Amino acid sequence: MRKARLWGLLWMLFVSELCEAAESMEEKCVLAEGQTLTVLCPFNNGKYMHSKKAWQRLMEGGEIRTLVHTEETSGKPSQVQVGKYMLKDVPTESALHVTMTNLQVEDSGLYHCVIYHPPREPQILFHPVRLVVTKNHSDTPASHESSTQNLAEITTTITTMSKLYTKPRLITKPSPMSTAVISSPGPRDVTNVADVFRIPLFSIVVPVACCLLTKSLVFTVLFAVTQRSIGA
Amino acid sequence: MPGRRALLACAFLALLRLGAARNTEEPASCTLVVPRSEWRALASKCSQHLKLPVRYVVVSHTAGSTCNTPALCQQQVRNVQHYHSQTLGWCDVGYNFLIGEDGLVYEGRGWDIKGDHTGPTWNPMSIGITFMGNYMERTPPPRALRAAQNLLDCGLARGALSSNYEIKGHRDVQQTLSPGDRLYEIIQKWNRYRE
Repeated sequence: MRKARLWGLLWMLFVSELCEAAESMEEKCVLAEGQTLTVLCPFNNGKYMHSKKAWQRLMEGGEIRTLVHTEETSGKPSQVQVGKYMLKDVPTESALHVTMTNLQVEDSGLYHCVIYHPPREPQILFHPVRLVVTKNHSDTPASHESSTQNLAEITTTITTMSKLYTKPRLITKPSPMSTAVISSPGPRDVTNVADVFRIPLFSIVVPVACCLLTKSLVFTVLFAVTQRSIGA
Repeated sequence: MPGRRALLACAFLALLRLGAARNTEEPASCTLVVPRSEWRALASKCSQHLKLPVRYVVVSHTAGSTCNTPALCQQQVRNVQHYHSQTLGWCDVGYNFLIGEDGLVYEGRGWDIKGDHTGPTWNPMSIGITFMGNYMERTPPPRALRAAQNLLDCGLARGALSSNYEIKGHRDVQQTLSPGDRLYEIIQKWNRYRE
């Protein structure tokens, strides 16, 4: 029936117009076995120039394991390595470089950089990093690309507002790289990890409001037309 | 008759969606930046590009003279460029954008070229914007602060700044007084500021 078809169409359009959901604060990174994770954790120069820093893993069950930490508090650059974990603290540049080499599937999990001053509570730097290490296939693309693809799938029901908000950088072409980098300083090998992020409240409210406004306008029009056509 | 109406409705809907989705022209707030040609810049010799979008904005002050009219500010930007390029030997004025107390934003290296405003770690991953003046004891006028906000909206709209970009004060990332105590207090209250 014509009427049913029209209503069906209306409903379909409603469902397809989903507003962008609020995102979490984790930095997602997807890498293949054998690859290297590099993270740059900025820290406040004035406050933490003379503090020790650490790279920690949040284990299931709540345990927080310190994998490696710096010792230097003089303000001079220092580097420390424990197995596959390496930290390079450059206080003058306000940057903590973290490297995890030869990743294995078991390394998948949640990590973070912290200011390390036990027994006091550590201060989390940057954002927690969600690492996902995948089994090796023949040609696994670099981290941010995989996670951008994941994100692209999740957000295929992307809204008009999200298009307005950011350029479609989510749909990037994969480039063959063995090292995946999050916020690395080097211009050539910097690849931004597709992150899932919490947008500040304001930037949720406005798009949602606009989304609703657009939808309601469209539906009002369609409703009027539908009514007319049913009536006619 | 009803079939045609429905078709019309669908066409209208499609147009509406298309109109909303398209964003190909320069975002409105970007047209307010004073281009290099207008302030009569020397040609840039820089070649290193920024990988966009960047995640950080570093706010600094020049700690130098201030200006409050377009004429004076154009001269001031040229002065800063001269100092950086001729005296310090850099490829261009160090900042990506400069903001005057006339309430205008002046294009420095722009969105695409790596600046020389902070250090080797931060320059490749940030946009450096500077307020022309010394803001240890003075605050920039509201129109200058608005211009800065407008500039950042522009950056976000054109994809130069990532959707989760953060603002840092110059002193947060280097040992410096920049951007000055008063201006630093102000930016700490900005939405995107993150220590």
